[in-house]
Amino acid sequence: MMDTFAALAHGMAVAVQPMNLLYALIGVFLGTAVGVLPGIGPALTVALLLPVTYKLDPGGSLIMFAGIYYGGMYGGSTTAILINTPGESASMATALEGNKMAKAGRGGPALATSAIGSFVAGTIATIGLAFLAPWLVDFAVRFGPEDYFALMCVAFVTVSATFGDSPVRGLTSLFIGLTLGLVGIDKLTGQARLAFGVPELLDGVEVTTLAVGLFAVGEALYVASRRHHSEEKLEPVRGSLWMTKEDWKRSWKPWLRGTMFGFPIGALPAGGAEIPTFLSYSTEKRLTKHPEEFGKGAIEGVAGPEAANNASAAGTLVPLLTLGLPTSATAAMMLAGFQQYGLNPGPLLFAERPDLVWGLIASLFIANCMLLVLNLPLVGLWVRLLAIPQPWLYAGILVFATMGTIAAKPSVVELSMLAGFGVLGFLMRRFDFPIAPVVVGLILGPIAESQLRRALAISLGDPMTLLQSPISATLLGLALVALLAPFVLKGMGRFKANED
Amino acid sequence: MRQLISKARMSLENAPMFQFPARLVGAAVALTLAAAAPAFAQQLELKLMAPAAPGGGWDQTARSMQQALVAAGVARSVQVVNVPGAGGSVGIAQFVNGAKGDGNQLMVNGFVMVGALAMNKSPVTLEQVTPIARLTEEIQVIVVPANSPIKNAQDLAAAVKADIAKVTFAGGSAGGVDHVMAALFAGAVGADAKKINYIPFSGGGESLAAILGGKVTAGISGLSEYDGQIKSGKLRAIGVTSEKRIAGSDIPTFKEQGIDLVIANWRSVVAPPGITPEQRKTLSDAVEKMVKSDAWKEILKQKGWEDAYLGGDAFADFLKKETVRVTDVLRSVGLVKS
Amino acid sequence: MSSGDPAQTPRRVDRAGIVIAALLAATAAVLVWDARGLQSTSMYGMGPEAMPVVIACGLALLAIGNFVDALRGNLPARESADPLPVVLILIGLALLIAIIGFGGGFILATAALFVTTSAAFGRRAILVDSVIALVMSTLIYLAFDRLLTLSLPTGPLERLL
Repeated sequence: MMDTFAALAHGMAVAVQPMNLLYALIGVFLGTAVGVLPGIGPALTVALLLPVTYKLDPGGSLIMFAGIYYGGMYGGSTTAILINTPGESASMATALEGNKMAKAGRGGPALATSAIGSFVAGTIATIGLAFLAPWLVDFAVRFGPEDYFALMCVAFVTVSATFGDSPVRGLTSLFIGLTLGLVGIDKLTGQARLAFGVPELLDGVEVTTLAVGLFAVGEALYVASRRHHSEEKLEPVRGSLWMTKEDWKRSWKPWLRGTMFGFPIGALPAGGAEIPTFLSYSTEKRLTKHPEEFGKGAIEGVAGPEAANNASAAGTLVPLLTLGLPTSATAAMMLAGFQQYGLNPGPLLFAERPDLVWGLIASLFIANCMLLVLNLPLVGLWVRLLAIPQPWLYAGILVFATMGTIAAKPSVVELSMLAGFGVLGFLMRRFDFPIAPVVVGLILGPIAESQLRRALAISLGDPMTLLQSPISATLLGLALVALLAPFVLKGMGRFKANED
Repeated sequence: MRQLISKARMSLENAPMFQFPARLVGAAVALTLAAAAPAFAQQLELKLMAPAAPGGGWDQTARSMQQALVAAGVARSVQVVNVPGAGGSVGIAQFVNGAKGDGNQLMVNGFVMVGALAMNKSPVTLEQVTPIARLTEEIQVIVVPANSPIKNAQDLAAAVKADIAKVTFAGGSAGGVDHVMAALFAGAVGADAKKINYIPFSGGGESLAAILGGKVTAGISGLSEYDGQIKSGKLRAIGVTSEKRIAGSDIPTFKEQGIDLVIANWRSVVAPPGITPEQRKTLSDAVEKMVKSDAWKEILKQKGWEDAYLGGDAFADFLKKETVRVTDVLRSVGLVKS
Repeated sequence: MSSGDPAQTPRRVDRAGIVIAALLAATAAVLVWDARGLQSTSMYGMGPEAMPVVIACGLALLAIGNFVDALRGNLPARESADPLPVVLILIGLALLIAIIGFGGGFILATAALFVTTSAAFGRRAILVDSVIALVMSTLIYLAFDRLLTLSLPTGPLERLL
């Protein structure tokens, strides 16, 4: 342990050199600037910036990458809260409560809890990265396809937290998402499903296209259609711009719980950043003392998922640095960054280039602090954006929402899909179907399917493989309990009532 | 792992300081200079399509070419356009239809596109484009976990022959180079390639985890991707697919182990259909000049890519033969309907 | 959108609900039809057609559920909706797609979307909005295309810059 401390301290001393602080600042700034564009995640930014860093030395450019990564994650949540447009799939859960808070004039506390939560989670997770990485990675590679499938089952059960008041309509939304998840080339056999001969559909439905269409475009259409009832008056600030004592009290536990979800799942090679945010959201919804606020802007619903998505960002660095496993698009770009200097992340990296590894870990701390320093003062400014007159505000939102797609995939098919999802989002709002399960279905469906099929191919079609793995059996049991618990509790309650 | 960390600290104490010279301004200046281009540059203004999203292999190839073409003074400017989708199917369709007869456009492609076009029943084929040159290739490797009873290619061959269903191969996307290679391996050792149990994973990271965790029998990938694991002893390489041993490496080839399996993941560059022979010559010359430049060699070294330059008609021949071979293999494993 | 009378009696059959149920059933049918065209090339485990069939079954059940809800008139009451702004915004999106599809470039396309959306939200100063939109999208273009090297679609206006 002391060894780790010494190495980290050394790395920290390196990272706080003025030049490196500057790199971190540039990285965080660029990451936030591009991260606010829906559909352009941190990976694309890193990809675009890679050539610029050719002339930088390895340490400097990696520190900049760390800044971009964190900045990009944070930028995505800013738009999710302010204009209900998740910049990337991991900030979708944030939009659910965050935007409701912003509309109620509590955008300030929402942005603040998200920034501070990201900071807390990022810091804890980075400490975890420094101390637990070798142990965690041993656990992570033990996760086989059957275990991932079981994890997906747990995630599916928690989706019901986003269903609203009618299970039939909630499930309908989920199945629309699952159907969309089928579109494209089947990962295991290379055959096209539901592509109808359109080549652009072969790659499937992009999560951000769906999320931006349903959330941002759908919302704009819906608000426009109801304008004649009463002009929606947005008050940017109602009450305190900053978090009150009550807000702090309600935020700190979700931050910690979000981190507990985000970091280990992010470290799993196929864990991703979305699942921990859903798990965190549904956990907070169950544990909260203010269940009536959920769906109307509960601060726990912002604090938890935001912490979870940042912690998972640090988590993805665990397999990258210890095994050379890039488990997210951005991690893959960082790998490319390493390789450009002839460095191969992997078991040997810690031994061969400790200066770089600890420097990077230290710069993650720095990037995190930078993010807080850069963003908290901006909260006031961001919130004022909502004071823009409604016509311009929504026109701006639509321009912004389409721009991400235009830049990432400028095809007529993709833009038509965006518009189509907008109409779907509008109709779903109008007929009171929940939006979030559609996106959840699109994300989880394909993963669950391919992991199950991989597990079955390895076991030559024997479904018992799902119960033979201890991890999978435990997770499936957990899913079953979570599924049945509400019914059992209800039954017990009735039983007791009868007895009285 | 604990050992690793303490080792890390030891070398840390001896290592030179983790220093970052103030080069950002210098970088900006250098970039501006590069963009301004040397005075002897020709008037070539190229549009280079990477039929993939930013970040992947083709995109990196395209962006490296952009850098080298400008740095070598071959072109005045190069614009990289990303058209992602379906293993390049979307990109090539746009390229063939939209750039017809345009002598200032190029597209990066590679092995994976051959299979993708066949599997997606693409109306556009590689026969329609004008071949320019093969640029790089990567040698493939088969690995097993360090604690596997399989020690060499013959052991694996024996296992495949004993019960092909029980030998699970992890690798990249269905119909990609890893998949084709698994089928070729089975065929080369006399087993029924149709029956291979190939498990496609998305991205090298996921399949590597499955191999390290002992979930599958063997893994297939580009050599560079598993290099670190092989050197650290976590994975055992049982054979590479090159003709001869790679210099400085002690991994045996399949050929020397008596298995006829030679394959490489190549990347190339092609021009649109319908260009004049003069235009073709200009483009071929430009690419050849780039390949010979120091800037390109420097990039190859940085990225760890193998130079596999093959120009002119030789490349056109190669492309044809490779297309036939890959399509045959994919048909044999049932990915392409005959 | 036609049955949007808030004064509906709750027990009336909801026609929109019936349409939704029918759409779900149709989707289920499309899934099964599409899955039948797939070959089960996977020799081991589950083929590519299993999942679509499972989802189709789910959709069929949900179609029944929605149908029952609609018959009972269980759907939540809807307030009336004004179709005009919705159509205006959709025209804006269509314009955006068309301009980009025909190579009109980023600036014109986003400006068109901005002006129509703004009009949909009740502004009538189309000229002023056009100027604002053009200036804004030009600035966005410069910032993201030139400074951050995203490649945004170019048209006649972008080439002038």
